[in-house]
Amino acid sequence: MQRREFLKTSLVASTVLLGLPLGASQIRQPLDNYKISKYIFPEKNPLIAHSDRPPLLETPRSSFTSAITSNKDFFVRWHSPKIKTHTFISGYRIAISGEVNEPLYISLDSLKNDFEAVEITAVLQCGGNSRSAFVPTTSGIQWGSGAMGCAKWRGARLKEVLKKAGLKSDAKWINFNGSDEAAFYKAPRLIRELKIDEIDDNIIIAYEMNGEDLPYLNGYPVRLVIPGWYSDSWVKMLSEIRVTKDYRPLYYMDSAYTVPDNETESESHDKPAKKRKPITTVNTKSYIGFPTRDTKVKANENTTLKGVAFDGGSGIKEVLISADKGKTWEKSKLGKELSKFAFREFEYNFQPKHSGKLTLMAKAVNNLGEEQPFAHEVLWNKGGYKYNGIDSVTFEVVK
Amino acid sequence: MKNIVIQTLLILTVAFSTLNAEYSKPVKVPSITYPLEFDKNFRVIQRNCQWCHSFGYITNQGKQSQEFWRASVVKMRDVYKAPITKADEEAIVEYLFKHYGNGKLK
Repeated sequence: MQRREFLKTSLVASTVLLGLPLGASQIRQPLDNYKISKYIFPEKNPLIAHSDRPPLLETPRSSFTSAITSNKDFFVRWHSPKIKTHTFISGYRIAISGEVNEPLYISLDSLKNDFEAVEITAVLQCGGNSRSAFVPTTSGIQWGSGAMGCAKWRGARLKEVLKKAGLKSDAKWINFNGSDEAAFYKAPRLIRELKIDEIDDNIIIAYEMNGEDLPYLNGYPVRLVIPGWYSDSWVKMLSEIRVTKDYRPLYYMDSAYTVPDNETESESHDKPAKKRKPITTVNTKSYIGFPTRDTKVKANENTTLKGVAFDGGSGIKEVLISADKGKTWEKSKLGKELSKFAFREFEYNFQPKHSGKLTLMAKAVNNLGEEQPFAHEVLWNKGGYKYNGIDSVTFEVVK
Repeated sequence: MKNIVIQTLLILTVAFSTLNAEYSKPVKVPSITYPLEFDKNFRVIQRNCQWCHSFGYITNQGKQSQEFWRASVVKMRDVYKAPITKADEEAIVEYLFKHYGNGKLK
């Protein structure tokens, strides 16, 4: 039981709904009022359904109290309307072709039995997660902050699979493609390329998620797992790996899923940057799972705030909590580190003194010393990618 | 001849039963109605937008400027290859800005 003196000042602070200074920048807290759909998708709990076709499902805030996001709560994002709904599993193959000594067609059985099974717990986050924070509104789905999750992935190392095919000496790029299809033949495929030297032991072709088959909507039967990177690179329903000598221009790497290739990765609405780079490494972020905007907390009683924090792989050093719009901060208690790439739980005990609205904010700092900016300090980019502003939750304290 | 027919039938039966046994994960994604405003241009929206995506993609965007909606429609044609004619482009932008606009041109 800890009494927090500074909470006494919080009543004033919390009168501003979002607890943020107004003015300067137009970037705001991401939308936090999307409703959970009454429609239930296969292998899923009720989630926020932005679209049924292609399926776009967002995880509600209340799920982010735990380092592992259950498969049923895990967010879903597809780009193409045609997603195979039945798979003849014993006939499923991942084709490996191009600059290899021996083209391979690897079955699911072979992936499970002929390669060492490795496990890694890692966060999967959409590059456009929290996009609704950006003003002017950017193109793309206006996600709240639930286009992310953390799971324990199990599969075969990509390196070992490539080794089996044998890379030729001039092989430089590895292309990944899934078996979903666009409505129009000429529309770009969501193909991602990795440079050979970007492939490390952490990258796996996963066939299990939290100890079960991947849910259909999360890419059954296999998807690429690239710990520390945004999800556009984690190709779902992976069916083709093509090894090439030269980089192949790709819409989803040259235009979509890019940020300006400058120091601040930002640009203005009138003057978009020409030189761009693919979004790759996830930045430092935290998110409060409890309380939520619907929570009612009792005055003069102990309550525990809970949330998750993560970054692109250095690990979380600390998560700080503020009750006065970020003027002063106090350390939260961190949970166990499941992996450098996983959600790190944090919790913070508090006891509000007055009834009324109360705002608490969370700020993560990673092991490189990088910390989250305030929402209004986040810089704009036209795709609305990589938002990582300090989280803020306003809830009600009752007598 | 009769033998061949029986053999074929046998093969088909075996093949079919294998398929049945091994097709797994029968999944059906629910169909959600995302209600849109109705007017004279609604049919243009119906015939152009739903090739690739639900109306959820439209309502999710919030109220936006005319320029925003124009850019979205042009992107659907130029990038995703939706066969939107010039006349339909005008009707779609007019519809979106009328019902899902923020009143600003830019």
